[in-house]
Amino acid sequence: MFKQAAMAALAAATLAAGAANAAAVVPGADQIVSRTLPNGMKVVVWPDRDIPNVALYTWYRVGSRNERPGITGLSHFFEHMMFNGTKTRPPGDFDRVMEANGGRNNAYTSSDVTVYQDWFPASATELIFDLESDRMRNLDFDPKVVESERGVVYSERRSSVDNDNFGTLIEQMQATAYTAHPYQIPTIGWPSDIESWTIQDLQSYYQLYYAPNNAVMFVVGAVEPDEVFRLAERYLAGLQAQPAPPPVVTKEPGQHGERRLRVVREAQTPLIAMAWHAGAAPDRDSRVMEVLLAILASGDSSRLHQRLVEQEQAAVEVGSQLEAGFDPGLAWLYAVVPPGGDVAKTERLIDAEIARMAQDGPTPAELAKARNQALAGFWRGLETISGKAQALGTYEVFHGDYSKLFEAPAVYESITADDVRKAAATVMTRENRTVGIVEPKAPDAAVAQGGAR
Amino acid sequence: MNARLKVLAAPLLAAWVAAAAAAPAAITLPPYEQATLGNGAQVALMTKRDTPMVAMTVLVRGGALADAPGREGTASLLASLMQKGAGTRNAVQFAEAIEGAGGELAISAGTESMSLGASFLARDAGLMIDLASDALLRPKLAADEFAKERSLAIQSIAAAKDSDPRALVAMYGDAWLFRGHPYGRPVGGDEQSLAAVTLDDLKRQYQAQVRGDRLIITVVGDFDAADVRRRLEQAFGGLPRATDPAPGVKAAPRETGRRVLLVDKPGATQTYFWLGNVGASRTDPERTAQAVVNTVFGGRFTSMLNTELRIKSGLTYGARSSFDRMAEPGAFDISSFTATDSTVPALDLALATLDRLHRDGIEAAALASSKTYLLGQFPPTLETNGAIAGRLAEMTLYGLGREDVDQFGARVAAVDEAASRAVIERTFPASGDLAIVLIGDAARIRNDVRKYGPVTEMKITDPRFAPR
Repeated sequence: MFKQAAMAALAAATLAAGAANAAAVVPGADQIVSRTLPNGMKVVVWPDRDIPNVALYTWYRVGSRNERPGITGLSHFFEHMMFNGTKTRPPGDFDRVMEANGGRNNAYTSSDVTVYQDWFPASATELIFDLESDRMRNLDFDPKVVESERGVVYSERRSSVDNDNFGTLIEQMQATAYTAHPYQIPTIGWPSDIESWTIQDLQSYYQLYYAPNNAVMFVVGAVEPDEVFRLAERYLAGLQAQPAPPPVVTKEPGQHGERRLRVVREAQTPLIAMAWHAGAAPDRDSRVMEVLLAILASGDSSRLHQRLVEQEQAAVEVGSQLEAGFDPGLAWLYAVVPPGGDVAKTERLIDAEIARMAQDGPTPAELAKARNQALAGFWRGLETISGKAQALGTYEVFHGDYSKLFEAPAVYESITADDVRKAAATVMTRENRTVGIVEPKAPDAAVAQGGAR
Repeated sequence: MNARLKVLAAPLLAAWVAAAAAAPAAITLPPYEQATLGNGAQVALMTKRDTPMVAMTVLVRGGALADAPGREGTASLLASLMQKGAGTRNAVQFAEAIEGAGGELAISAGTESMSLGASFLARDAGLMIDLASDALLRPKLAADEFAKERSLAIQSIAAAKDSDPRALVAMYGDAWLFRGHPYGRPVGGDEQSLAAVTLDDLKRQYQAQVRGDRLIITVVGDFDAADVRRRLEQAFGGLPRATDPAPGVKAAPRETGRRVLLVDKPGATQTYFWLGNVGASRTDPERTAQAVVNTVFGGRFTSMLNTELRIKSGLTYGARSSFDRMAEPGAFDISSFTATDSTVPALDLALATLDRLHRDGIEAAALASSKTYLLGQFPPTLETNGAIAGRLAEMTLYGLGREDVDQFGARVAAVDEAASRAVIERTFPASGDLAIVLIGDAARIRNDVRKYGPVTEMKITDPRFAPR
């Protein structure tokens, strides 16, 4: 299979040469087909025979954005419980059967969505449909398993948040930057809520959010679309549609003044992060913000890396992150400060670089670099069947149509230097930001010295 | 647990074997051409045109094995510094050339090789080769950049020690298990050894190690083979051969008995643990049987370890085991983490699970499941240009041919109960023979962990990964 594909794919993969609004020509993309079942569940298929495997991603439109105090972290906990038994299969069977047939799975939960990922040899395709439909229809909650899984999630929280200084800082900043909108809720959940969820909470979540009309399935790999639709008909069409889940109506009010917080921890290296209220996923402004963040902090040639890491030695590392989902998210910049370093100086340097960008905008070379990085990133994302399933899902769920994926390179091409300058000037303002700092509790003198040499 | 597996999974399995069209398909590598340049550099090229991208790997035999004792991190700093200005470009210009084209190019050191990995748009294949050869053949190795890189490397270790200890525990583990052996030296150095490394050390290492006959160059993706072959010859063919043989290593002896290293991280709410012994090499003829057994024991979600420590008890988010394979046997290790108060129950359970592997072996159903799993999960490991380029280079480094991939399915099929029993005896350590590392709040676990063996203590802020 592998062999054939390598030879068959001679169709030259080129971008429609620089044409501003043309879609990228991706080999095999013309084979993508989708169908919506009468119960509202959409199934998108991208046949790709490069390897004899399949990536099947099921996206549910539910995440910590749908939570409230008392049940924070429930979307993520529910994700764990989706693997822990149905009325027809005892806890553990889902994984055992899938692995025995050559498959592997995982899942992730964000503020916006919960995504279930299955990777398996094409020979297991029907089995996977059976397993997925069973947990959509017959999920069961064994009280003993609920209790033991609580411990698993608590361990996950201790690993990614409590024993990781960045994890702690980001959680505190998220909770500070949002005063009203549920993006303030940490997806892993607050500890006291992890200890308090009930089976009833899980049952009502299942009813509300795990309906076929709240899900989209992406099947990418060595499959025939007709066969996939036959399986979808057989295994998924019988699922009952449910009333649409209640919408998230709360909008975050505008921020009119900087918010600052400190976290005092055992640490050698201080941290500083800044977060600004920015756009939602489908907004063109979010593409502009990606470009701005890349120019500021992505790679060794970026402005903040050059200034803070190379010229001033005011940071060990700089980075950025954009959270753009259903609702306006945060644009992040952060720096790891050297042991014993002056955080205030690092902050002044970041401020100076933002001010310079807001004043003069990027250079033509920087803009070309950001576009090329976006283009190469687009192709890297499409190198694997998993990457394709993830990309299709992102565009279908957040942008409303998977085919908008292929317009992405043209959107990046259309971004101008003035777009980027304006984003720095209007979004990255002092009034619109939250600044968080991790301050070492008791710096170790010996090591601080070693670090300064 | 085993009984359940048999009763519940087997009937379903049987039904699916009957219903499924076929077992997972075995794969073979597409054709590729190989050549040796006049200076001994080994080259492999594979065209693959499903995306307009091209990937390149260059391995330089030697790696951190060439580091002088007490100067650990020399190869790693050299790898970093080769990207900080090369050919006609200074450091920032070099970064701009890569990033301006949307490319990626990074050089790092491993135990047995330095490795350059690059990924560029197909239209920039020539630029990629130029930048790679500048970095490897014409690095500036400038003093000011060296001072910065060394200081950043030291600070980055401090930053890592403030972050998730899951990323660190294996470094302490290797150092503790392979005391006095080259596999125990930290590839990236430690705060103390890095402070001792000089620019002259790097220059000497460069002259001795980055030589023509040490190179393995692979390119995979959308390119014109004749053109790239010619460019590689021009770019790398002039690098002279090494005057000395590449650094080698002798196998470390297996550990007997147990000893514990407790790394104090005050305030930690979890204990991170690593239990290891000398395992198996990359070319071990029994490597596939070892992989089949390890899949059952600690290599996948439903493994014995994850079943006991996560699924059945909720003690952890994850427990696993793995082999670190190099020219000679690296570590076989079991690792997990748990709330500080459950340190002893979790460690006891991990040890008991290892005992159970030795006592009961693995059942026929689990063996069959593991084989199907390994076959089904193998193709995605060779899906991208970069993955294939890396694999071809790594196979060449260890003297393996394409049969390493092409015969994988046949090797998996050949693993039977006797073979699995044999590797459990030979390669999986007994629970009484383990080097143990614990990172956690020492004040709260110090007394309880003495039962596992003599305890040596150090602080996470000590500027080393091993006790004095």
